[in-house]
Amino acid sequence: MLNVRRSWSLLRRLGCRTEVQTSRTSSCSSGVFLSDAGLVLKSQSTDVFQNLALEDWIDANVDLQRRGVLLLWRNRPAVVIGRHQNPWSECDLPAMRRRGIPVARRRSGGGTVFHDLGNLNLTFFASKKDYDRRRNLKVVVEALRRVSPGLAVHATERFDILLNGHLKISGTASRLSRKSSYHHCTLLHSADRSALSAVLRPSCPGIHSNATPSVPSPVANLLDHAPTLQWEELLDGLVHQYNAEFGLSSASSLVDPTDESTFPGISRMEAELRSWDWTFGKTPKFSVQTGLELEDSSARCSAQLHMEVKSGRIQSCDLQVPAAWLPVRLSGELTDSLVGQRFCPQRAAAGVASLLRAQSGELQSRLHILCDAVISVMG
Amino acid sequence: MAMRIALRRVSASFSPRLPQLAPPARLLWRSDPPRTLSSTAVLSSALKFTDKHEWVKVEGGIGTVGISNYAQEALGDVVYCGLPEVGQRLEQMEDFGALESVKAASELYSPLTGEVTEINKELTENPALVNKACYEEGWLIKMTIEKPEELDGLMDQAAYDKLINSLEE
Repeated sequence: MLNVRRSWSLLRRLGCRTEVQTSRTSSCSSGVFLSDAGLVLKSQSTDVFQNLALEDWIDANVDLQRRGVLLLWRNRPAVVIGRHQNPWSECDLPAMRRRGIPVARRRSGGGTVFHDLGNLNLTFFASKKDYDRRRNLKVVVEALRRVSPGLAVHATERFDILLNGHLKISGTASRLSRKSSYHHCTLLHSADRSALSAVLRPSCPGIHSNATPSVPSPVANLLDHAPTLQWEELLDGLVHQYNAEFGLSSASSLVDPTDESTFPGISRMEAELRSWDWTFGKTPKFSVQTGLELEDSSARCSAQLHMEVKSGRIQSCDLQVPAAWLPVRLSGELTDSLVGQRFCPQRAAAGVASLLRAQSGELQSRLHILCDAVISVMG
Repeated sequence: MAMRIALRRVSASFSPRLPQLAPPARLLWRSDPPRTLSSTAVLSSALKFTDKHEWVKVEGGIGTVGISNYAQEALGDVVYCGLPEVGQRLEQMEDFGALESVKAASELYSPLTGEVTEINKELTENPALVNKACYEEGWLIKMTIEKPEELDGLMDQAAYDKLINSLEE
């Protein structure tokens, strides 16, 4: 009962537009129950997909015409790519798999970022009319200057925030939808910079794509330059400045993005964000052109691979392998088996398994080496 | 004789103007005279508009969809067009992709219910076409029109112009 009441009062404050089935069986409509002019939410979750789904839910369901919402969130280690980016060229998928770091595609534009618990995410939700990235970044910059006087931070034309003129501590991206907008940005407090540089590199060479590229920048953590700046102090400072800038007096509320009763439909949104079709299938068309070095105990050679990948699937595949190393017929069977498959090492390995079983001896071993080389290109 | 003269006059008035010299890039696309503001206005009288600033032009049962001048100006320089697949079925108002500009990723909403028959491949290499020629070469998708009655619910040029004026106040 207490949970329902809490959910209900939060929903009223959100002024959500959708009908909600609670034990009171009432609907909430925008404007009628609102007493707050602003709203600050902090997510209890550290799961990147749950938090991205929370953004989607707020964007789709909360009436933002009269006032905005600020959401503060952070994630366990994850790489987040922009709407139209290529995960294979932006991050090292095998390295991430080894470390249990997922890749997520967000709905806003922009470049690739590394998230961990030392990185704070801020999302400023507003109507399209009130969409103002510069004003939002002013909130962040002024908050930083207040909590850490003398800190040399400023926002750039590209909507980055730089420390000491050249070290990036924040990047920005945004999305405009039907009636609303959101602008989110990162803020590096105490992220693991060695993990960041280990994963933000391509999975494989030779990718040619017109996907939106990232602009790499040297980064820094706030904590390294302001050693007494605690996490909670940073959050409080940001909430205070948000209220000051927009003339509000909102206290922050903790929200749980796994709570379907507060956020009806959110688990479906989360599932879509987790799906292969969204994360990899939405990759703009690209081609891979690379050389493969093949070697066994008796010989070595170089092969050429050219693949076209559309919607994350292999559309065409051309393999030039010297016939002396492996019969052309077998290279051809390999390429045939790959066409139509997901550009994914696990799927490709499963696809070539029967091909390998049909061979024996040296042919099988060389085909195996070739398959491994081709599959390693897929990240 | 009179008939022949009359015909000659009629054909004279229908003979095409000589195309003005255009920069080489233009000639690759088409050899029509370059568009002027007034001819854009004539072209768009056949357009229908949504309140999301998209236009649709119907020809032979197929609707061509794009975004309006107001939209492309508000968007800023388009750097990427995320468009749907050919064959994808869209409901009216369903989001079917996004245009990424320096400003944001802006969702695109289908003006009608139908199936995508073609997407503008030029936009892959040249997304800026959406800014430069939003009513012509910068078109986004073509689609079938499953429910022609939906067109009646869209704005004509006059109504759309009125909307723009009210927004700019």
